[in-house]
Amino acid sequence: MAIVACSTPPGVSGIAVVRISGEDAIKNVSTFVKDSPLNKTRPVSKVCFLVDKDGEVFDEAIVTSYISPNSYTGENLVEISCHGNPKIISKIIDLSVDAGSRLAEAGEFTKNAFLNGKLDLSEAEAVASVIHSLSLAGVKAGIKNLRGGLSKEIYSIKSSLISVVANLEFNLDISEEDLQPNLLNNSEKTILDTIKKLDACILSFKETKMFQSGASVVILGPPNAGKSTLFNCLVSKDQSIVTDVEGTTRDVIEKSININGLPILLKDTAGIRESGDDVEKIGVERSFIEAKDADLTIILNDRNLSFEGVKHIHVFNKSDIKSPDEKYDISISAKTGKNVKELKEVVYNSLISDKTNTDTLLTSKRQYNAIKSALKHIKDAYSLLIAEDSMELLVEDINRSIGFLDSITKKTTKDDVLDAVFSSFCVGK
Amino acid sequence: MKRTHNKYDLVVVGGGHAGIEAALIAHKRGIKTLLVSMDKKSVGRTSCNPAVGGLAKGQMVKEVDVLGGIMGFFADLSTLQSKTLNKSKGRSVWSPRSQIDKNLYEKIAQKYIKEQGLKVLEGEAVSLKVKKDCVRGVFLKDGSEITCSAVVLTCGTFLNGLIHIGSKQINAGRYGEKRAEGITESLNSLGLKNGRLKTGTPPRIKKSSVDWKKGEAGYGDKNPSPLSYRTKNFSPKDEPCYSFRTNSNTHNIILDNLSSSAMYSGKDMATGPRYCPSIEDKVYKFNQNPSHVLQLEPEWSMSEQIYVNGFSTSLEEKIQLESLKTVSGLENVEFIRPGYAIEYDFFYPSQLKNTLESKAVSGLFMAGQINGTSGYEEASSQGIIAGINASCFILNENPLVLKRNDAYVGVLIDDLILKDTNEPYRMFTSRAEYRLQLRSSNADQRLLTKSREYGLLDEQTVEKLSEKIENTINMVRFLEDNNINPKTINKRLEELGEKPIKEPARMSNILKRPKVSISDMKIKNNETKSVLTNYMKEEILFEAETIIKYSGYINRQKEEIDKIKVYENMIIPEKFDYNDIKSLSNESREKFINIKPQTVGQAQRINGIRPSDISILLVYLKRPFHVKQIK
Ligand SMILES: Cc1cc2nc3c(=O)[nH]c(=O)nc-3n(C[C@H](O)[C@H](O)[C@H](O)COP(=O)(O)OP(=O)(O)OC[C@H]3O[C@@H](n4cnc5c(N)ncnc54)[C@H](O)[C@@H]3O)c2cc1C
Ligand SMILES: Nc1nc2c(ncn2[C@@H]2O[C@H](COP(=O)(O)OP(=O)(O)O)[C@@H](O)[C@H]2O)c(=O)[nH]1
Ligand SMILES: [Mg+2]
Repeated sequence: MAIVACSTPPGVSGIAVVRISGEDAIKNVSTFVKDSPLNKTRPVSKVCFLVDKDGEVFDEAIVTSYISPNSYTGENLVEISCHGNPKIISKIIDLSVDAGSRLAEAGEFTKNAFLNGKLDLSEAEAVASVIHSLSLAGVKAGIKNLRGGLSKEIYSIKSSLISVVANLEFNLDISEEDLQPNLLNNSEKTILDTIKKLDACILSFKETKMFQSGASVVILGPPNAGKSTLFNCLVSKDQSIVTDVEGTTRDVIEKSININGLPILLKDTAGIRESGDDVEKIGVERSFIEAKDADLTIILNDRNLSFEGVKHIHVFNKSDIKSPDEKYDISISAKTGKNVKELKEVVYNSLISDKTNTDTLLTSKRQYNAIKSALKHIKDAYSLLIAEDSMELLVEDINRSIGFLDSITKKTTKDDVLDAVFSSFCVGK
Repeated sequence: MKRTHNKYDLVVVGGGHAGIEAALIAHKRGIKTLLVSMDKKSVGRTSCNPAVGGLAKGQMVKEVDVLGGIMGFFADLSTLQSKTLNKSKGRSVWSPRSQIDKNLYEKIAQKYIKEQGLKVLEGEAVSLKVKKDCVRGVFLKDGSEITCSAVVLTCGTFLNGLIHIGSKQINAGRYGEKRAEGITESLNSLGLKNGRLKTGTPPRIKKSSVDWKKGEAGYGDKNPSPLSYRTKNFSPKDEPCYSFRTNSNTHNIILDNLSSSAMYSGKDMATGPRYCPSIEDKVYKFNQNPSHVLQLEPEWSMSEQIYVNGFSTSLEEKIQLESLKTVSGLENVEFIRPGYAIEYDFFYPSQLKNTLESKAVSGLFMAGQINGTSGYEEASSQGIIAGINASCFILNENPLVLKRNDAYVGVLIDDLILKDTNEPYRMFTSRAEYRLQLRSSNADQRLLTKSREYGLLDEQTVEKLSEKIENTINMVRFLEDNNINPKTINKRLEELGEKPIKEPARMSNILKRPKVSISDMKIKNNETKSVLTNYMKEEILFEAETIIKYSGYINRQKEEIDKIKVYENMIIPEKFDYNDIKSLSNESREKFINIKPQTVGQAQRINGIRPSDISILLVYLKRPFHVKQIK
């Protein structure tokens, strides 16, 4: 059964594209295209009139057909680029359904593309991330993976691991023949290298994720340091209540802003101090929770505060009335706006390290978890190597690591390893 | 006049390592069995090197032994030297290997067959009698016919065998033995496809022509353990082998004469193995190696005939001799027989089910080199399974199928039926993803239950092994349940450079540290339930230690196995029509149609099949209309 859906965003737009995919797509569409030029053997792209059941023309559209397997979904596929009037779109969909198709579920075109082997899993995920991405940079990462960027990088990591396994397997499976020198040294180097690369992948995931779903930045500091003032200054609207009374901000206030195209969820908090007031205590606790989950903390006027594992910037505020007695990363005045632009740059730069390896942008949580597990096992392998424990256990851990990388791309088989063994070593008996 | 034979239930064609196992086990299971072989005197012959076991192969011999096979037992009786290989590496790859007396092995095999009362007929099978896709009998070259309901074909290297020595070619199944003709064509006419493979063997030289002082002597282990659980009082001779080395002069002569060799893989003919390559291949492909090792092995006790391990070749005899003479110690070497390569027909094993029965012809089983493998142990492994399953076929019992996590034998057969063979298949430990579980030391634990179920071993051996297994389990439990005191262990831990303990700790936890061994636990006899005074005490302690040391890894593997079990049990109907699945790529569809996987698990393991192919397959298998359509 063919599936149908409008693949451009809903609402009035210049041109909309309706897609119909499936074995019967051609026949289906031919029922409402006047003098249909469509056929099952050859792709066609032509301007046609669309007609309703009474034979009445209701739109002029470009009808393009793709023949299986040479289409996005791998099935027969027809794209109708019609005028973007919601009434026209729903008419086309109705006519198609009447002719025997059904409404596509979310992501079903991509799912079919995956099932038909047109996309590998990482590419399919990339499509999803393009669709859901919040920023331009996020879209770019998605598109890069769509072209196989991620797969390529993972392949290269994988193939160096396979060569290590081949080394070790050779050693395990061959007893008499002269062993290759420096077998283990080479393995050690490759393993360390892999750890570095996977670490970079993980870092890049965090950054890609920020581009796609926004980074969380939390403002912290003692009461009256000027947190709410800075918050307002950054969002350029009065959102937070600014008062001289300590502890006014008890709830966390959030607002989305954008620095250099990077979506940021900015959060103003109660401030950090000992407090007897129960309500305020809760506020302080919440500040802590927010801080621990943040991608970055902006800490005002407290040189000694920071959270383990969370990036931070120590900012001195109120530079218009006093100067810092200690060294801060930057001095600003939230009230006058002095140096706030510079602060934004500092925020952006601390979120996006220039070491970002943009070739290996991970775009889904699943990929991220796979890489994390791969990294864990390769690290285990490294400790076994250092401890000179059994070589077969070492192989076991590296193979596990490869297995997790496989879940992102294609499967490695035992033959890949044996091929590597046979091509590099003389396996005599 | 047509000679008539008695009727048999099962005819096994070929008295090599596969055929012997198949015939003996079927006979033991009460099947009326006949072994037909071309030459009665060559039954049980070891065609190539004088050794049984070795890496991965030793594990298989032990598995075959628990399954009621005989190879390990014969080898034990004819051992010249026994050694466990890979001792310096992890214990799952420790592999027993025996240097054997080839003549004695043959003699013992033939005597044993006679003693067991298995009927042997000298003759050459030339075709099968098949009716309605079912085996009905075997025709012999003399025109006679043997009626039977099942056949195991184990023709080894004999089908249209062609020997190459340089440019010389001889029709033969083995040096000095006639080749077999007819079976290939007979199977072809039943729709079975064959290919051609080749393998080589090194020259045999005269002992008296070698300057032995120039070689390095290698002996076996001090207290070797036998390959078979049935062997008692194993104390083999310890005859040495000697290693010599090739040099650049050797290599230059070979390189200058490559064009005369049939084994040099650059040539366009049947494919040979990439492992165990000919000396031509070694020298050409691995020119960075300045020298290769040659092991000189006696072929029988005090034999004048010496096997030059590492020098497989099919160069002209003259060149073989000339190049060997450049090796220090072999300056005056004389040949008994030159090295040669043999080319032969094999049948693509993807045409078999995991029982080793043909998918197309019911009652036809195949085992050994005819399935594209090489090696005695690989042959014997298939032989035992084919023999058991042929008997199950006749008795109408459920067949025996071993999984990849049960045994190397399981890995072997699974690989054979699912992978495209384009070189002779040999087992490696790296082919087994569950290698850590498939140890030579636990073959009994892995397979005894199955063995009992099919009645493959004698009562006495079963009893002894059950006791050993139970005691091992008790020992493991003891180590897991009991603490060791700092006082008892700390001194030892310090000696080993390990951190001492402050509080009493579980023995198993301490034992998991790489350098600690079970003897460090200082377990007293009376502490455990009678374990230590028992049969195979050393083996029990070793095995318990291994189980504990590997438990982390093995538990993880078991979880994995559980996860994929669903797929292993998901059966693809025999008549499933892959043409129905339009969304499969042509390549994958073709593979599915050719191989006809029996389960989704098998489908997953076919080379080149992508996860997406499996997703599609699953979608179709779950569609109710499809199931109806099949019925
Ligand atoms: C030249 C050579 C080199 C080898 N090199 C190696 C090596 O380097 N490493 C290694 O591991 N293995 C090697 N082998 C392989 C090893 O010998 C075999 O893998 C193993 O013996 C195969 O066992 P099998 O039972 O399948 O067949 P075989 O041992 O070949 O036995 C076949 C038996 O079947 C009989 N037979 C065949 N056809 C018929 C018929 N139509 N009718 C009646 N009887 C028949 C024959 O007489 C023979 O007894 C080599 C073999 C040869 C010949
Ligand atoms: N002079 C000066 N006053 C500031 C500056 N930033 C904040 N303030 C004042 O400090 C007081 C506390 O500010 P608020 O933003 O509520 O502090 P919070 O408790 O950290 O949120 C207010 O009276 C602000 O006007 C600054 O840069 N310069
Ligand atoms: Mg505030």
